[in-house]
Amino acid sequence: MPTTNWLFYINFAVFSVFLTLFITELMGAILLLVAYERSKHRVLEHVVPIWEVTGTFAVFWVVTADFAYPSMLIPVATLLAGYIVVFLILLVARNASISFAEFIVKRTWLDEKKLYQTYAASTLLLGGVVVLILSAIVSGAGVDLATLSFSFVGWLTNPGSVPYLLGVLVIGVGLAPVFYGIGELRRWSLPLTVVGVAIEASALYLYASSFLSDLFLVPAVLTILPAVLYQSSRTAPIVTNKIVFGVVSCLIIFSQSYLVYPTAFHGGITVDAVTTTGPMVNAFLLLSAVGIVLVGLLMALYLAVVTRSGRLKAGGTPPAQPQESAT
Amino acid sequence: MSFPIVNFDRFLFAFTIASHILLVSVSIGLAILISVVEFLSARTSDKYYRALARRLIRPFVISFGVGTASGIVMAIELVNLFPGFMTLVSKTGVIAIFYVEVFAFFVETVLLVVYAYYADSFRGKYTRWALTLPIVVGTVLSAVLITMVNAWMNTPNGFNTAAFVATGVVSGVNPWAPFLTVSTGYEVLQVVTAVPLTGMMLIGGYFAYRYLVAPGTEERTLFLKGLRITVVASVVLVALSVLAGVLEIEGLYQYQPLKYAAIELNPTPGTNLPITVFGSLSGTSIVGGFQVPGLQGMITHHVMLPGLSQYPSSEWPPLLIHTTFDIMVLGGVLLGLFLFAYVALWAAHRRPFDNKFLAYGFVGFSFLTALVMEFGWATDEIGRQPWIVYNVMTVNQAANYSTALIVPGIVIVVFYLLLVPLTFYFMVRVFNGRPLDLDLKGPPVGNDANY
Repeated sequence: MPTTNWLFYINFAVFSVFLTLFITELMGAILLLVAYERSKHRVLEHVVPIWEVTGTFAVFWVVTADFAYPSMLIPVATLLAGYIVVFLILLVARNASISFAEFIVKRTWLDEKKLYQTYAASTLLLGGVVVLILSAIVSGAGVDLATLSFSFVGWLTNPGSVPYLLGVLVIGVGLAPVFYGIGELRRWSLPLTVVGVAIEASALYLYASSFLSDLFLVPAVLTILPAVLYQSSRTAPIVTNKIVFGVVSCLIIFSQSYLVYPTAFHGGITVDAVTTTGPMVNAFLLLSAVGIVLVGLLMALYLAVVTRSGRLKAGGTPPAQPQESAT
Repeated sequence: MSFPIVNFDRFLFAFTIASHILLVSVSIGLAILISVVEFLSARTSDKYYRALARRLIRPFVISFGVGTASGIVMAIELVNLFPGFMTLVSKTGVIAIFYVEVFAFFVETVLLVVYAYYADSFRGKYTRWALTLPIVVGTVLSAVLITMVNAWMNTPNGFNTAAFVATGVVSGVNPWAPFLTVSTGYEVLQVVTAVPLTGMMLIGGYFAYRYLVAPGTEERTLFLKGLRITVVASVVLVALSVLAGVLEIEGLYQYQPLKYAAIELNPTPGTNLPITVFGSLSGTSIVGGFQVPGLQGMITHHVMLPGLSQYPSSEWPPLLIHTTFDIMVLGGVLLGLFLFAYVALWAAHRRPFDNKFLAYGFVGFSFLTALVMEFGWATDEIGRQPWIVYNVMTVNQAANYSTALIVPGIVIVVFYLLLVPLTFYFMVRVFNGRPLDLDLKGPPVGNDANY
């Protein structure tokens, strides 16, 4: 009887939280680029305190992956070396531009808007690299495991790759108004999200028909649900609540674990075979248990402080509701 | 063909870490300084301390933001540039150190966010100061944990090293042993003193200069109060650094004798060896520099000290480390003397803060401290060559030979050459970004995100 690979599920759960936080930033980045003045208040009040936490979850995920899959490090480093370095450059650019933008006061050749839009552009490009790497890990597109080489042209010419990237982008545009409560863009939210999910489904089918199993229904429904609830002013506050949205987003991502487990790279690598064994497993589980409790407490503290601060600022009024269209 | 790529891997990582430790030293210095200033502000209700804390948090967020990104770059670069090393790390308890470091990082990040953006919503007298404590703990703990990894690289344990060297298979793993190797204690002490010292001196150098050129009385008062704290902290840290250095030397000749012999440029072993200052090795003789007869033996209580002749020359690290070590020691001695003179003048009520030459001297010594730290790190790392894990794995065995790294690697170097000065420029700019009057009053902050 097969046993549960807890290391995989812990690593994937951490990945789900990281990706959720990163997606909320990506959605904000889209808004900052296309509608800076209208969206900056809503976007920045979320992004400015949280972007450091996103980075920390990225490290959390990388270290749990190193811990869980030591024998995968050489293949991954060899396959994706160049793209990982590009990822790193964009990451530093993102952190530098947003931390500079936060405190810039004087309006000179480099002002707050330019810096925030630099942050947004780097975050979007970073998102592109992340999607490229993830889609390659899921589908094996452009990957030759025998020679440990990766071809960008091979990835791009795979019929699933461009739709995969496009689907993520369209879903991001569709759900951004929900997460940030931008009422003016409400009517676009549902159609864009549905189209995005449809594109994503076709991308997975084009990668491999087996990817589009019944299991895909879970993330598909969960992705469309927030856009549906956002259409009614009675249910909108539920999904614009950032914790609710975050939990749903984590579930959406976690429910796609079937794409990389039990095999990743479209059957190229069996995850159980590359997972660490022996005393390292117990060390991983023990540290994870302690660490997850600590991180949970820290996040609870953070949310309590943010909520308290918001209430103090609003003089005891309830949290903000989504903005209605001005037109 | 493969050799230049290994050297490129070496260069890229060395360049990244050299940049990173500069940012981190300022981050750690700022974290400690902010905590001290918040304590003094709460205790004395002095408006200048309050304003100083509010001003310091802004550059701290920038140094933290860029520093963490740079830390992530290093963590991922280790996988990317030296996958063989990280595979060994991930199969042994060293990865557990990295894992604990993530949690230290979380403490630091979340509490920094709470302190930087929401501290004004708390009303307790000492609450702001209390919020800084976990930030200091998280920041220092991050440095301690990464030094534990470095200590393990110098004196590996926690698995059967002999079996690994013979077969390449990791066995006999004890996941907790790497947290405490024979060199962990003295390496950690060295880092937790030298790195904050650099940060304090760099910040102090800036304060000394600004105190001298500031136009108004209020600004001068602000910078003087900051400068006094950094001077006291630097004196304490430089004294602890000397102690750490002595302990490290003792550890080196016991546990890394070849590195010790190369650092001291000892051609042969002995109990009454001289200290060789600069100079180089030609055959079995020292050329250039000068020697102080018997001093090395006296410092080490005449124990049998190792010499290079005990090891095949193919295993020697580059003897350049003798020069980098001497520069580090010389710089450290000069810094100690400068700080001693500065404090002596202060104690004698001679107001060293107002002396133009001492102010510019402080600026100069702040850069020298950074140089000393970089040379100290270079001595440690180059001194372990050709090994990445001492006597277990060479850099050549660990490296990534993919040529795909070269172009983006060069872009990283160019990017950092722009980023590091730009970061320091912005830190200074945001520190001075608001009129001092506003910081002396203190604004409320808040957030109405729907959580």
